[in-house]
Amino acid sequence: MSHEHSAAATTHNLGHDAHAHEDHGIKDYLKVFYALCFFTLLTVGAAMMEFPDALGHWKDTLHVTVGVIIAVIKVVMVMYIFMHLKFDHPLLRLMVYIPVFLFFVMCFGLNFLETWDYSYVTR
Amino acid sequence: MSSALNLSHEPVTKIPHGKLVMWAFLASELMFFSGFFGAFIVLRNSNYPIFGAGSNHLNVPLALLNTFLLIGSSLTMALCIHNLRLQRRGNAKLFMGLTLVGAFGFLVVKTIEYSAKWNDHLFPGQSEHTTFYSFYFLMTGFHAMHVIAGIIPMIYIFSKMYTKGGYDHPVKVEVLGLYWHFVDLMWIFIFPALYLMIPFHGGGGHH
Repeated sequence: MSHEHSAAATTHNLGHDAHAHEDHGIKDYLKVFYALCFFTLLTVGAAMMEFPDALGHWKDTLHVTVGVIIAVIKVVMVMYIFMHLKFDHPLLRLMVYIPVFLFFVMCFGLNFLETWDYSYVTR
Repeated sequence: MSSALNLSHEPVTKIPHGKLVMWAFLASELMFFSGFFGAFIVLRNSNYPIFGAGSNHLNVPLALLNTFLLIGSSLTMALCIHNLRLQRRGNAKLFMGLTLVGAFGFLVVKTIEYSAKWNDHLFPGQSEHTTFYSFYFLMTGFHAMHVIAGIIPMIYIFSKMYTKGGYDHPVKVEVLGLYWHFVDLMWIFIFPALYLMIPFHGGGGHH
């Protein structure tokens, strides 16, 4: 009986939430869409920019760094709003964080090791 | 009245099984792409001039257009799910149609890009372009295949929406939506990695 009750309550809550946040949801989606467009243009802008010589070796790498940071911001927005991570059970987030963490280890962590190794050998 | 436990979703987290499995699949997809990205970044940093020269031949405005097409179709997919949940069938149909337009638009632009590369002899096997364009065709090619794989269920659902019964499975569309947003996410990384890693003035890395 309690199961039936909780199932019914869940259905009711879902319906209720859907109506209560009806316009709120659309606004969130549109906000994310505008932010994604803005950050895309910002990435292109950063890539076209010539950074001052005073930055040293950062002059050649800053646009890549900016690009990666912006991409991460965009990914977080898509995952939390479009993919509903913000509204789902927190346990699901744990399941998502681990592969995302591994993705960054694979892409950037290994790369830093590699860079360090080459500069160390050729010094 | 049955007192059966509702097994359509996971009892504790209330997450439908389909969604959970899709997230697990996307985790494995992420590992699949991380191999490409990891190899790309490591090789790029040890062959900066080659990768810079290759990247300078890419058509950034077309890729930018593709980015907006994918972001737009991600938005319309989210709106389709939203409307389907509220039983607004007409709106859901419209937004699924717009998502399909975005997906096909992406493939059309991609075809234009690929044929231009082919005509300019920019593909693997063309001496100095082999390394960069192997990555270019591998990464954008696998991404385009994911777009095609997303289009197939979309067409199925879209055609079902035109039948008398309509399509009343918002959770299934949500699962497809998760996949579609993932395709968008991968493009968010591929676009700056391949197209924008060299400043447009062409000076970076050539000295």
